[in-house]
Amino acid sequence: MKKIHIVIYSCLLAVLIGTGCQKKLDEQPRGLLTPDFLSTAQGLQLAIDAAYGGTRNVWGTQDYFTMTVIGTDEFISGIDGNNDINKYNSNYTPSTGTVGNIWKTCYTFINNCNGIIDYAPNVSTMDTAVKNRMVAEAKFLRANLYFILVQFWGDVTLNEHFQSDIITSASRAPMASVYDFILKDLQDAIAVLPAGPSSAGVLPGKATKAAAMHLLAKVYLTRAGSTAKKADDYRNAYTVAMDLINNVAPANGLRLLDDFKDVYKEGNESNSEVLWTVQHTSNLAYNGPNNSSGTDNVLNHMWVPRYEEQGGMQRSTLYGRPYIRCIPTRWLLDTVFNERVNDTRYNKTFQTAWIANFAPSIPSWPSPLPAGAPLGAKPGAAKFKVGDTAIFMPGYDVTDAQIAAAPYKLMPPRSYTTALSPAMFKYFDTKRLDMNYPSIRPVIVYRLAETYLIAAEALFMDGRAGDALTYINAIRRRAAYPSGNPQAMEVQASDLSQNFILDERSRELCGELTRWLDLVRTGKLLERVRLHNNDGRSNIQAKHVLRPIPQTQIDAVTTGPEYPQNAGW
Amino acid sequence: MKNLIATKLCTALLCCCTLLFMIPLRAQSQRESPLIKGRVTDQNGGPLPGAAVAIKGTSKGSLTQADGTFQLAVPANSTLRVSFVGYLAQEIKIGATVPPDLSVQLLPNNSDLNEVIVVGYGKQKKSDITGAITSISEKSIKDVPVTNISQALQGQGAGIDVQKNGGNNKPGTAPKILIRGTRSVNASNDPLFVVDGIPYNGNINDLNTDDVVSMEVLKDASATAIYGSRGANGVILVTTRRGRTGKPVVSYSGYGGVVKTRGSYPIMDGPTFATFKKWAKYINSPGKYTGIDDPKFLSPDDGSFTPTEIASMKAGNSYNWQDLIYKTGIMTNHQLGVTGGTEITQYAISGGYFRETGIYPGQSFERYTVKASVDQQLGKRFKVGLNSLNTYSTTRGENANPMGQALRANPLSGPYDSTGKLVGFVPGNANQVWNPLANFVPGAVEENRKRFGTFTTLYVDINLAEGLKYRFNAGAEIRSDVYGNFYASNTTNNLGGPSSSEQQNRLTTNYTLENLLTYDKSFGKHKLNFTGLYSLQQSQFQDADYKNSNIAADYLQFYAPQFAANLTGTGTYQKWDIISYMARINYGFDNRYMLTLTMRSDGSSRLAPGNKYHVFPSAAAAWNISQEPFMKDFRQISNLKLRASYGTVGNTAIDPYQTLGLLTALNYNYGSNNITGAYQTNVPNPALTWEYTSTANIGLDFGILDNRISGTVEVYKQFTHSLLLPQTLPPTSGIPNAILTNIGKTENKGLEVHISTVNIQGKNNGDFSWTTDLNFFMNRGKITQLANGVQQDIANSWFVGQPIGSIYDYKRVGIWQNTAQDSATAKGLGLNTTGSGSVIGTIRVEDLNGDKKIDAKDRMVLGSSQASWQGGITNRFAFKNFDFTVVAFARVGGLLTSRLYQSGSFINTFQGNYNNVDVHYWTPLNNENYYPKPNAGSTNTPYVSLLSYYDATYVKIRSLSLGYNLPASALKKLNASAIRFYATAEEPFILFSPYRNKYKGLDPESAGTLAVDTPPTWSMVFGINVTL
Repeated sequence: MKKIHIVIYSCLLAVLIGTGCQKKLDEQPRGLLTPDFLSTAQGLQLAIDAAYGGTRNVWGTQDYFTMTVIGTDEFISGIDGNNDINKYNSNYTPSTGTVGNIWKTCYTFINNCNGIIDYAPNVSTMDTAVKNRMVAEAKFLRANLYFILVQFWGDVTLNEHFQSDIITSASRAPMASVYDFILKDLQDAIAVLPAGPSSAGVLPGKATKAAAMHLLAKVYLTRAGSTAKKADDYRNAYTVAMDLINNVAPANGLRLLDDFKDVYKEGNESNSEVLWTVQHTSNLAYNGPNNSSGTDNVLNHMWVPRYEEQGGMQRSTLYGRPYIRCIPTRWLLDTVFNERVNDTRYNKTFQTAWIANFAPSIPSWPSPLPAGAPLGAKPGAAKFKVGDTAIFMPGYDVTDAQIAAAPYKLMPPRSYTTALSPAMFKYFDTKRLDMNYPSIRPVIVYRLAETYLIAAEALFMDGRAGDALTYINAIRRRAAYPSGNPQAMEVQASDLSQNFILDERSRELCGELTRWLDLVRTGKLLERVRLHNNDGRSNIQAKHVLRPIPQTQIDAVTTGPEYPQNAGW
Repeated sequence: MKNLIATKLCTALLCCCTLLFMIPLRAQSQRESPLIKGRVTDQNGGPLPGAAVAIKGTSKGSLTQADGTFQLAVPANSTLRVSFVGYLAQEIKIGATVPPDLSVQLLPNNSDLNEVIVVGYGKQKKSDITGAITSISEKSIKDVPVTNISQALQGQGAGIDVQKNGGNNKPGTAPKILIRGTRSVNASNDPLFVVDGIPYNGNINDLNTDDVVSMEVLKDASATAIYGSRGANGVILVTTRRGRTGKPVVSYSGYGGVVKTRGSYPIMDGPTFATFKKWAKYINSPGKYTGIDDPKFLSPDDGSFTPTEIASMKAGNSYNWQDLIYKTGIMTNHQLGVTGGTEITQYAISGGYFRETGIYPGQSFERYTVKASVDQQLGKRFKVGLNSLNTYSTTRGENANPMGQALRANPLSGPYDSTGKLVGFVPGNANQVWNPLANFVPGAVEENRKRFGTFTTLYVDINLAEGLKYRFNAGAEIRSDVYGNFYASNTTNNLGGPSSSEQQNRLTTNYTLENLLTYDKSFGKHKLNFTGLYSLQQSQFQDADYKNSNIAADYLQFYAPQFAANLTGTGTYQKWDIISYMARINYGFDNRYMLTLTMRSDGSSRLAPGNKYHVFPSAAAAWNISQEPFMKDFRQISNLKLRASYGTVGNTAIDPYQTLGLLTALNYNYGSNNITGAYQTNVPNPALTWEYTSTANIGLDFGILDNRISGTVEVYKQFTHSLLLPQTLPPTSGIPNAILTNIGKTENKGLEVHISTVNIQGKNNGDFSWTTDLNFFMNRGKITQLANGVQQDIANSWFVGQPIGSIYDYKRVGIWQNTAQDSATAKGLGLNTTGSGSVIGTIRVEDLNGDKKIDAKDRMVLGSSQASWQGGITNRFAFKNFDFTVVAFARVGGLLTSRLYQSGSFINTFQGNYNNVDVHYWTPLNNENYYPKPNAGSTNTPYVSLLSYYDATYVKIRSLSLGYNLPASALKKLNASAIRFYATAEEPFILFSPYRNKYKGLDPESAGTLAVDTPPTWSMVFGINVTL
């Protein structure tokens, strides 16, 4: 009897063990992808798409905006937002999240590009031409990221290859070798990439030779202003820029638009002046999480003032969500954009009037009526109706009596505040689904007008002011379109100076995510902030020309030598 | 030989059966003695079936029936002894006249040595236990009306730390359980639940507390090593009700009551806020205003206040948004069951319904349970049994949290406009705060989670030979979990933007197969028990999650994504297996010396090839001192046992596929070409292994005065190594996610004391009685090693020598005052002392390293969430038909982080854009030295995190419960065997808490961090238990 049971038991046990239980310990992932997938053709495609996706973490984010637009001679902090970094005050430290975010995103996506560049040679199932172009695109993107790093931080860690190990140490490479690496990447990319955005088979947002040339010229120009400068940097900068302007661009349908206004016209982001964009879409599933610091284009919010607090106004998709992170400096409005007759750019850059859109809060005329009140004004009656002007900033001074007599809120420059002042509308977006939503517009990163200004600056710095005129005047003449006199816009060689070129950049490019870097490149950050920036003038110090190495980086380097901080931080 | 064994077995069985039947027979034959009818009940008046009623000095006796009644012929002037396992025996003197109706109430005895308790893969007599085990009886589980068994554990045992996770009070949430502290940083510190012998992966809310009859908490390595790679955090064995022999017993229990908020968060009212905002503006624009009474503030052109605010300030209006949203919740529970059976078949069937609604209108939890168990003897050798626990539950509003909006909503603005319509954005909050009442509009919000599942276990017992048993144990758990949410456009979730919805479908399937072989044998004074196990457990999980927005019609909610835009989907699939071999030997000599040796080997699919199997050994010994001959003279000592154990257990804290690295998806578009890319966010790490914890434990069990005072003292030390630490790599590594590595070590040591006393035991039934269960425990944990020999890892807040959960921040020294001295000091530190960015009036922190600047190097460890000590006390009083129970507990020491004060959800920003916590803030006039000045110019006041750390100490009454048992005479009329009415207040008082008393906090219970969420609650229920 006992035997029977032992047999039963043994059978049960044998069945359980014999059914290949040990195989159950093998893992077969289904819901996720692992890094070894990068060694396949599909894996490479995913990686290059992610490399482009990573650019959204830079251009269009509040972090990059904060680091390039505010704290300059052009813009100071608006009433909202955390602005220690822009005021250069003592709360701006290596722990300031803004700098850490950009630092981290650059290295994450550099590694992604490294993966493409390292793995591609081993993927045999892919067409060589396609593969080479993919590598060239990755190099273009990698060069962009290293260029950001070297400009903000100076000497930075240089990862030339894909990292898929646990690394807890890091060191900083000299700026010179980082620049060499960037230049090599761009030269490699230029040799392979299709000519321009309108070349056959080039999808919107893709890297092109034209974009890489623009960046190459800018890198040379920037290195020329750094301690890593080389004697022929300016010459190389204008040689490349001129080659782009005079040869590559015209041959590929790239040219300055006739009207400055059209450059930033909504929906016109792939116009013939645009060299490279970071893409966004009205398909929200692919556009970003929603006003996060991650991958959304929130530039549409940054300049929007608190118009909604004024009589007759409420928040609307048309006028935007008042983040009011920055307002123009008085110097920018009053001095740089002083000329408004032949130069049409002031009115094409700033919104100075708001039309009433909310009846309940329209103010009424007081009793007695102010002197000079318009005909038809009656005490107690609404000053205006929906569709009339509610706020107007004429841009010149008016008397208090005129202000009192105006039916709308009349704001001369002296009454501008950090909550309400002329609003730069290059990035406004009226087509997004909700008034609080981030932008669905692509961000223009490089455009041909800047190539002209790079060429001009490089030529001027290399002692060829006369040649620089060609390029700077091309931009200035265009600014007169359609109502101004183009000839009156032209300047002479004697007018040129580094300061003039910087001012011209403001008129053309203000707010376009480059100013802080321009000031550092030209060595003018301290001088110009002290002159024109009320927020930062008393705080800014020599150390501020470099961003602090993020504390997160220093804290996480746990082996090898401590990660060096920048001087003064 | 085999015939001999079979014969012996049969004889033994026969004898047993005969004995069982003989007792009543004998009683009936004693016709000459008067017959006593009686009833034995537990302390709550419930019937005690199976209790022994014996006439002292004779072999005569009887057992009580299922309804607790017995009949026995008792001669006059004799003594009756009523006893039952797990209860203190009672002796009743019978005088010359025998009472016709005797009612006996037994009090529980927590240290009854003959009591058999559940241990891993088996049962053991308490006197034979060598490990550290806390056993929690059905009575203790039912002391407090709770949603889940985790809550029932609170305050019930030494070393068991149960805290509301994040202070979460929503209906249907489970608290956090820690057994003997935290040893793991990244991995779970949750104990393993084993229900009816099968490891349980489900949600603890799927179990109905009414179905649970006991819980055993295994704490040391000797007790947990048999669970190998999953034992490190302790194991909680849950046993559910089975049928028992006897006529069917029908029982009903039910309660209903109310749930109320403990109070409102301390937020400014209208006038206070107006003054606050004026100061914020005044300080941000030096020179613009003459003071806070400057009439310019009220001019519409000034822009400081909106027209609505100005109107409210003039009219003296103030709106309390919290009052507008809180309501009274209800809590109700019903359970109907029947148990019974014969000698060969036993069954238990029950059905339950539970419902709780929260203090926020959108929150509720509702649960239906059905349980059935059958045990069947098949011939002499086989026994089979089945137990099925089935649950359907609906949780509504698990993420409903209006507090972010309600607390910062402007108190000068109301929810309705002049026409009586709900406003959208609350005026005066920079269009950031949506009217929280909008979510109450019917159809605006729907959020529910529906879970359906079964947990079914099955066993086959085969008696192979005398002492040799084979058991096949199988368990299957299948859970479907369907979640959906819909938020209309005009809700706090979408702030007037497009409506949104989400749908989530999850399916979990687990099965466990166990083969157990046990051998039991006594040779004279030697007792030997062997247990061998071979088991396989597999778990699969899949999840599909869809989100979309701009739903065509609100009433479609989340059910019709085809009528919505922007569909996105994500999914998960996970599968893991564990194959285990285990052997355990229990050896006892003369009931004096006990030895337990255990070895388990686990193979896990989650580990990389070549690294899959690991072995977990343990050894334990016990010395039953009170059994020694020399102890005979110490009569007052009824029990004394010394135990010692050492062993290693694991924490299987690695997720499936985690050794393989990870690519993360990223969306992009090239014009109208939408694409999804992928980039590396985690690196492969084939060296990953489990965390290992070695525990040494010494325990002393004692009983004095016939166990009227009994207890346990345990001391332990745990060493955890190969700790899985998420290591934040330098960003320059290019790896954005923290990676897991087995790099750390931690230590925990602790002391646990458990004492049960019978303070007053009435001589007669109905006399006043009072018993106390007291536990006290302390745990000290610290990190002892980090990666690469470093002493601190600031990025992750780990410090060698400090506990897990340390708070590392600046040291506050007060507020920078407007004095020449402070200004000079501030200037010396390079701080601004003039203008809107001036530090005067902001939080002052110490320049710890004295380098004349305040930077990251000036931070220090301020404390941790670890308590100094904790304790629970349960007092039970009984008098006549009344009983009264008080459960209290204390948690002393440690720091909590209150997100409310850390400007979580932008509430304590000191900016004046939003309503603020009502604190006594600094102004140029008052020299306040704790709370900083308001400043309209900065989003957060500097060092605001320093306002969020508080002493987490508290002493709480967990429950007060008053019960009344209907007397036997009344029961007779109703034909019932027991009826009990009771009223219980859950969490009625917080007796002591600095956070509450000094800082207006509501409830410090948090497990570390208090989230900004619907406030804590207390409840009052009235209930009835009926047994027929």
